[in-house]
This record gives sequence, structure tokens and C-alpha cells, in this order.
Amino acid sequence: MVRIYFAGIDLGSTMTKIVIINDDEQILAYVVHHTGAEHRHLANRVMEEGLAEASLSIDDISFVMATGYGRINVPFADRQITELSCHARGVASFFPNVRLAIDIGGQDAKGLKIRDGKLLDFVMSDKCAAGTGRFLEVIAAALGIEVEDLGGISLRSKQKVSVSSTCTVFAQQEVVNHLSAGVPLEDVVAGLHDAMASRTARMVQRLKVEPDVVFTGGVAKNAGVVKALEENLRCPVLVPEEPLLSGALGAALLGKEHVLKALARGETIQTGERRLDRATFFEKE
Amino acid sequence: MAEPSKGLLRAQEIYQDRSRRALELQKQGKKVVGYLCIYPVLEMMTALDIVPYRIFGDMREPITKADSYIPAVNCPFLRSCLDLGLKEKYSFLDGIVTTHICDVGSSLSGIWNYTVRTPFSFHIDTPHTLHETSLEQERGLLEDYQKALEDLTGQKMTKERLQEAVRVHNEQRALVRELYELKKQDPPLISGVETIRVIKAIQSIPVDEGNKLLREVIDEVKERNDGPQKKSARLLVWGSILDDTALPEMIEGLDANVVMDDTCVGSRAYFGDVELTNDPLDGLSHHYLVDIKCPRTFRTRDYTDVRKDYMTDLAVRFSYLRDYVRDWKADGVIMESVRYCDTHGYDVPGVRDYLDSVGIPSIYLEHDYTEGALAPLRTRVQGFLEIIE
Amino acid sequence: MTTEAKPRALNRLQSMYALRAEVDKMYEGGVEASEEGKPVAWVMLEGWSNAILNAMGVSTVFPENYSSLCAAQGVATPFLDRSEAEGYPTHLCGYARTCIGYSSRMVELDGEIPPEAPAGGMPKPVLLVASGEVCDARFKWFQSLGRFFDAPVWTIESPYPGLRERLMEGAHERNVNFLIKELKAFVAFLEKLLGKKMDWEALEYTGGGTNEINRWRWEINELRKAHPGPMNTRDFWSAVTAALFRGAADPDVITKGFERMYDEVKERVDKGIAGINRPERYRLSFEGLPPWHSLGFLEQLADRGWNFVIESAYRPPRPITIDLSKYSDPMERYVRRRYRRLEDSLREDYGPEEAEIILDEIRRDGTSPRMGLRHIKDYQVDGVILHVLLTCRSTSAGLNLLQHRLLDVLKVPSLVIEGDIIDVSAFNPAEALRNAEAFEETMDHYRKVRKELGMPW
Repeated sequence: MVRIYFAGIDLGSTMTKIVIINDDEQILAYVVHHTGAEHRHLANRVMEEGLAEASLSIDDISFVMATGYGRINVPFADRQITELSCHARGVASFFPNVRLAIDIGGQDAKGLKIRDGKLLDFVMSDKCAAGTGRFLEVIAAALGIEVEDLGGISLRSKQKVSVSSTCTVFAQQEVVNHLSAGVPLEDVVAGLHDAMASRTARMVQRLKVEPDVVFTGGVAKNAGVVKALEENLRCPVLVPEEPLLSGALGAALLGKEHVLKALARGETIQTGERRLDRATFFEKE
Repeated sequence: MAEPSKGLLRAQEIYQDRSRRALELQKQGKKVVGYLCIYPVLEMMTALDIVPYRIFGDMREPITKADSYIPAVNCPFLRSCLDLGLKEKYSFLDGIVTTHICDVGSSLSGIWNYTVRTPFSFHIDTPHTLHETSLEQERGLLEDYQKALEDLTGQKMTKERLQEAVRVHNEQRALVRELYELKKQDPPLISGVETIRVIKAIQSIPVDEGNKLLREVIDEVKERNDGPQKKSARLLVWGSILDDTALPEMIEGLDANVVMDDTCVGSRAYFGDVELTNDPLDGLSHHYLVDIKCPRTFRTRDYTDVRKDYMTDLAVRFSYLRDYVRDWKADGVIMESVRYCDTHGYDVPGVRDYLDSVGIPSIYLEHDYTEGALAPLRTRVQGFLEIIE
Repeated sequence: MTTEAKPRALNRLQSMYALRAEVDKMYEGGVEASEEGKPVAWVMLEGWSNAILNAMGVSTVFPENYSSLCAAQGVATPFLDRSEAEGYPTHLCGYARTCIGYSSRMVELDGEIPPEAPAGGMPKPVLLVASGEVCDARFKWFQSLGRFFDAPVWTIESPYPGLRERLMEGAHERNVNFLIKELKAFVAFLEKLLGKKMDWEALEYTGGGTNEINRWRWEINELRKAHPGPMNTRDFWSAVTAALFRGAADPDVITKGFERMYDEVKERVDKGIAGINRPERYRLSFEGLPPWHSLGFLEQLADRGWNFVIESAYRPPRPITIDLSKYSDPMERYVRRRYRRLEDSLREDYGPEEAEIILDEIRRDGTSPRMGLRHIKDYQVDGVILHVLLTCRSTSAGLNLLQHRLLDVLKVPSLVIEGDIIDVSAFNPAEALRNAEAFEETMDHYRKVRKELGMPW
């Protein structure tokens, strides 16, 4: 039996993610890399890595679907779909009963209203760093700790402090004030997570919070934010094993659906030229 | 000498260099009077042979001078207008007419008088309700406006001149509607981007020249084979001022055509004629207060009725949007507003409720009137298109 | 976070507390009326409807005040969040968003007052009376409350002409007639809604009382010109709500309250007592609406010797005697008592000479840089705080221009402080205090400039 392969690439502002699946929707390979300033044009290398892991060549891939902030300019992609639809599809493949998905990445935060695996409505926040992974990065840097350690630290908190500022700059000042007033680090970090979670909860209220609520994106790796989000939404929050992959996986799955639909209509699959060139980005970032 | 350009090309030329024609006419001795928004009664300027010249902002020009005179938490479109005024982009104007469109618009007229100092200015305190007394008041205000314009030009605004002006402006309204008819086809014969260029062009030149331009555009568009491509989605855009092609350009760069709008550099000023009443001021005051559907006016089914029902109220205020969607076969509505526009902002949930109730999908976009800030909105629009597909 | 036993920097007026407590009665009265099945209207601050509604026996509550009360008690945020969840843009007025969130919460509770509502809460309205006066986005706010209540909305129209246009021949009389007809239409609507007739005699009482209250408030403000300033703006803000929100409902009580306040301020002036318990180093004016959630900020400024001796908002009008004998129509009397000819009020406020200069400037330029500056001169103000509000365009739009005019005309410097009436997160007190410290040097500098120019302070 001839296998067909699909790739999804999610070129985010902070991380680049690639998932390769077969027509049984099994994940053959996934790669997650920092998009980082020097690497942002190197999506092709990430793709090469993924192909190597799956022991495939680029010509074996039937369809490449691109998503994420840099989706428009991936030269080896056949089609682009927004990360909104892709996240919805990817999350639904992990959690079929999802009704609200929250994705917090490096530069934006999204809320997705999903019914029967389909995206119905969404909200997005990308106007400022507060409420995104960037917020935590800035604060972690100011505290001189690794952003990965924030979650663990905050879980030790006995009494979180209130951080009222929703502005990253003001919040940073507040944090410094709290610490100099002798508040334990874990209580301050827990307060920050709470501020972020309450901001997110506010953003998604318009979509109506109903279980299953699923949380993805880089920030979903932070157990402290997950806990704070559960408190603020007053319901359990599910996190997939690899919270960064839902967009790329969704892209691969939507690519497969696209191909199957085309074949069902008796059309040939329109694919672009398969060249693993460097990606180009929007002028304005 | 090269043949003067016509139709869409001419519209684009005016769009890019708006003041050229006004300056030529000014050299020939005509008065050019700037106006803000669509409420200053243009017929009364035309009746005295004044060239009405709409004041716009420029979202491609950073605001550098206005912030010292008006706080940044105000409508960036109006701030941009003031900024251009302070940069002497409007120094050629013989006068400026403002109305009580919104509070910031009103404040701006005072700030403009203090800082830009256009030689002539007049402010019409357009009422906000459709009460019977408000109509009388609007009519009285137009009498004052008439006096002020007569003083400016030293001419008398006779009934005949005003009636003739009403006729020519109604002709312009009819021509714009004729142009919009051509957007009902699939694909539309003229894009959303081109529409803004045409409307902005006719708001920069005298009405008779605008009518000539519209006829050229209509003839050209009917015959063209280089029009917009067929796309998956047909959209209606509702909202605050869009005086730049950037937003429709972004939308039409995706898999959608903007086929209809309810904005003030679009259909809003042209749908509905001025009734030719015996005293033209009666028809004019009614048209400008009642017919123009900007959220700045408080509308309700019957203001003397002591009962109220939300859905009926919404239908009275917004059912024309459903008609637009039906007649132009739109698949969805983009609600857009410049940030800090309270007037449109308060209507967003209501418009959404109404569209939901009649099964029309919609999305709300807020922007800060800079071209660069539109890029992130692309994902929202594309996501919306994926939902309605 | 000082813990020393230093006396508080603000020297509060004792007479203020009784007036401040009056506002609670508005909410108690509203809830009581609602429980008794009497009509309750949600209304806005404007010059006309409140006295009419009170004369008709309608209980009035003011969501604008209620929102500031929620902010002051630190409970506004959940309401703001609900407004956002309902899909209202976050740049809208903080008063409005608090009220929208409150209304949405009421719907969730089947029309009941939320248990977390301070001061007993606002009961469900039978009528919403909106206005475009001073802020025209306000009628959009009440219109949008249709999502939550099926109470009808009446929008009061009142003229808001440009300055030059107000001087045009016939304009004043037209505006007066417009107001009379408009308010009569409102009365007809109320009669239909309530099924009873207007009590015109009661209107003389509810509408007339305000004039008496304003007269006391005016006299108090006259006393505030003294050095040191006997009353800080903090007390003004605490007391003014009684006049604004209860003046028509209970004129006699409120008049008495301000009379007492007059006595207390007078005594302070006679004894040379200031509104702050520190030496008065700077006399200031507060322009714009105050940060209701952070009024404690004034305490910190008072500690630096800053005395806010006057403010721009809600200053009472100069008391005048108008001959109403030739007007028999009660609505006409009501309107003419309040809606003044611009020329007349300028002459009364500025004196005949300066008024003529101002009028000439208006006729020529459509504006005059001198308008709205009288109090700065009268109160010999060293500096002005301009409170630019994130969500209030109506009170903020003119402030930057005012900054120029203050310096051009009076050589008085001003400091912009950004914040909000409701949203505490828009205000950064630490930064504001730092800027305030630096502003003292600027005030010192302009004291010298004014002296060199031979100005009186």
C-alpha cells in the first residue's frame, strides 16, 4: 500500500514547529526550534530535520500546509491557513470535546471557540506584550531567573501577592517593589501568573467558558499559569503532552483534509514547487 | 499637451494628489472650504459656488505635531487631521466647516480655530436625536450657516440656486448608487480599494466635476475586463472612517472582495436623496439629520413610545445592513473602528447582536489608524474567512 | 506606607461628612422606591432632567456616580471585565463600562441587585434618561443598555453650539425655545409612561432649590481664594456629589449642608487655617475629573505642601437674579433661569472690560484663549494638574491646548498626569509622584517669571 505524507509547519514569532504525519494521522516526526532572530529565515533547516527524523525526502510529502505568523512566506508550502483554524483542528485531535482553546505564544494570545472540532469564533490579543510569553520573559529576566523555572517556583507559593498592573513595564516595577518589601519570590511569581491568567480569562469571556477547556502554546508549559488559569476560569484546564505542536499538527491534518477533498472531487492536487528555500517574513514585525 | 486622464485613472490621480484641482479653482477666484465628516450641508456651499473640500487624515504620516494640542487618547483620525493642519497641509483653505459629529470632533473645531486659524470657520451644532424639535433646530442652524456663507462670499443664496444645488448633489448620490449597483455582480466590477479612491476623489472636487468623473468611471467599469477576480467570500464593511485604501487592500489581498460598505468614505453619504421641498432647507435638514445613518445620531423606532423591545430596536437601527447583505450577496460583515471612537464602539455589540439574529457572520476589528498596525489584523480577517468558508 | 504618627496631611472639613453621606441616601431611596413599586430612573448628570423627574415623583439614581463609588471601593474591576466579555471595546468610558458590567450581572441574577453591589446597589430602572450634554457619547451608552433592560431610553437634547455661533443674532432665543419644547416633549413622555400629570409647582421647588445650593457653593468658593487656601479639592470632591445628585431630590437638606460648610470654611479663613496640615508651599488647581479610586494620592501631594485650592469641574455658576416676572409658563421659567446668554455670563464672570476683549476674540477667531482661565488668576494658582483620562475624551480633549493657554496667557505651568476615572491600572502613582517632585522646580521658575512681568502672584 502506498503511503501519503503530510507536513504542517507552524512558523510562530518565537518558535518554529514542524509535524509530519501519514494518511493514518500518525505523527512520524516533530521538531520544535526557536525561531530566534538569527534563525527566522531557516525554516527550511527545521523542515530538513523533520524529514530526516521521519526518513523521508521532501518529494515524499504530498502536501505542506503552513500556518503561524510567518505562514505567507514559506516557499515550500502548498497552502496557508491561519493558526486560528490550525490550532482548533490540532487541539480537537487531542481533545475531541474541546469547546474553548486558549493558546498563549511568545507574542500573542488567542481564544478559540470550537464545536465538533470546528472553529466558530475567536478572540486575539497581540497589541502589547502583557498577557503573552514575552511578559513572562521580561519579568524572568528582571528577576534573573530562567523563564522555564517560573512555574515550579510559583507552585511553592503560600500567599500570592496582587499585581494590579496589566502593563509589562508597570508590572515589572510592582514586582521589584514587592521584592524589596520582603515578599517571598514564589508569592510574587504566583501573583504574576495570576495577573496573566486573569487577563486571559477576561479576554476569552466573550466566547463563553465551557469545558473542555484546553490550553496550548509555550506558556502552557508553565504549571503555575495553568493553575492560575484554572482558578480564574473556575474550571479544569487540559494541556496536551506537547503544547507547542497543536498548530503544526492542525496544519498537517487540514492539509490532509484538503487533499482528500480535492481527490474526492476528482481533482489533481495542486502543490507548489518543492524547494527548501529560506523563508521570508513580513516587512513589518 | 497630454490628453487629460479619465475614469479610474483620474480618480487615482486625485486620490494621490487631492488638492491640485482645488488649488487651480482657487487661483480662478473660487473659495475652497474644508469640511469635517459628512454632516456639513454641501449643497449650501455648492449653491454659492464654493468648492467643498473634505478634510481627511493621513494614516501613512506619523502624528508628530498634534499631540501637543490634543491628548493621544483621542480618535487618531481626528488627531491626524489636526496634525496635517498644523503642518500647513490645509493652509490653502479659505474656511472650515465642522459639525457636532462627536465630542472630539467638536473639540477639534475649537482647537483648530486656536492653532490652525483658517480664515473662516463655522460650527453646526447638529442635534443628536430625531425629535421633532431637533429637526426644527437643525433647520434653524442651517439658516445661521446660510448667513455665514453669504457673509463669506458676499452673495445671496437664493432659493433657486439652492434648489439647483440640491438637484446636482442628488444626481451625485444617484451616480454613486449606480456605481454600487455594479458591485452586486460576482465578481464585482469595481473593488473596494477602487471604490475608496473614487469616493475620496469626488469629495475633493466640485460636485459637477465629481459627477463627470463618476460617469466616466461607470462607463469604464461596465466595459472592463481587468476588474476584480472572483473570490471565495463577498464582504460588507461597516464602521468608522476609512479614508485610506490600506484596509480593503489587505482584505482583498486575501480570498475576499469588499462588495459593499456602510462607512463615510463609501455609501453612507449617498444612499437616500434630498427631497426637493419648496423651501430647500426643509429637505436638507431632514436628509442630513434623519437619512444619514451614522451612529452619532440616536435612532429608535418611535421616540414617544414608552415601551421598548431590544430586537425591534435593533431592527429599526440596523435592518438596512441586512438589506445590503441580501442585495449585494455578502457572506459576512467586517465591523471596523478606529480606536477611541466611542460613537461606533458603543454600537459594536448591538450590530453583532442584530447580525447574529439574522444569521450573518461578523467580526470586529479595531485599528489605530496607522498602516503598519494593519498587518496583525490580516490573521483575524483570514481566520474569519476560514470560518465562513 | 508611613507608619509614623504624623498627622494626616489633608485637613478635612467636618461639614463634608454629612454631605458625603447624603449620596448614600440616593441609593437607599432608590432601593426603597423600587421595593415599594415606585418608579426608578437611571439618569445622567446634565442640567435639565433631574429636577423634572423628581417633581414627577421618580426616584433618580446616577450610574456615573455609582461607577465612581464602585471604583472608590475597589469593586469596579469585575464589572469592567464583564463589559469586555460582553464585547464592548475597552477604550469606552470607565463609568459606562462599570455600568454595563453591572447591568449584565443584573441580567444574570434575573433583575436582582448583585449581592456584591456597594451602597445597596442600583435597582432595575423603569426608564433610562440619557443626555449628550458635555459628553455626547453618553447617549450611546444608555442606548446600548437595551441589551440588558427593556426600559425605554429618553435622550435629552440640549444645544451645544460653537462660541461664535452662540453670538449670532437670534441664536440664543432659538436655543431657549428649543430647550423649552424639548423638555415639554420629555414631560409628555413621562406623563404617558407614568400615567400621571406633571406637578409644575413641584418643579419650582426641585428646580429652584439648585439655585440656592449653588449660591452657597459659590460663596464657599469665594472664601477659598484666601491664603492659605481653607479647603482642599479633596473635600470639594467629597461634597459636590451631594449637590449634583441630591440637589433636586432634597434641596432643603442639601442647602443646609452647604450652609454649614460655608460657616466652617469662613471660620478657617478668619483663623488662617489651611485645607492641609502642612505649610502651603504651592497653590494648585485640578483640571479634569479626579481619579476616584486613588484620591489618597492628594494626601501624598498635600504632604509636600501642595494645596489644591480650586478645580475646574463642577464649579458653581455665579449667582444672579433674573427677572422672570414676564414669563408665566413654568417650563420657560425653568429654562430661562438656567440657560444664559453667553454675553451676559461673560460680563458677569470677567467684568465688562475683559468680557469685551473676549467677545471680540470670539467674533474674530471663533475662540478666546482667555476663557476658562479666570479661576487660575483669582485663586493665584502656582501650577495646574491636568488629569488626562484614558477613557474620557470629553474632559481630556481640550487639556493639552489648555496647557498652552495657561502658559501663554498667565505664565502658569501645568503637569499632565495620565490616569482614568475608574481603571486603576491606567494610573501609575509612583511615576506621578516623581513627576510632581520635578514639577516644583517648574512652578518656582514661573513664579519668578510672573514676578518679573509684574503679575499679582
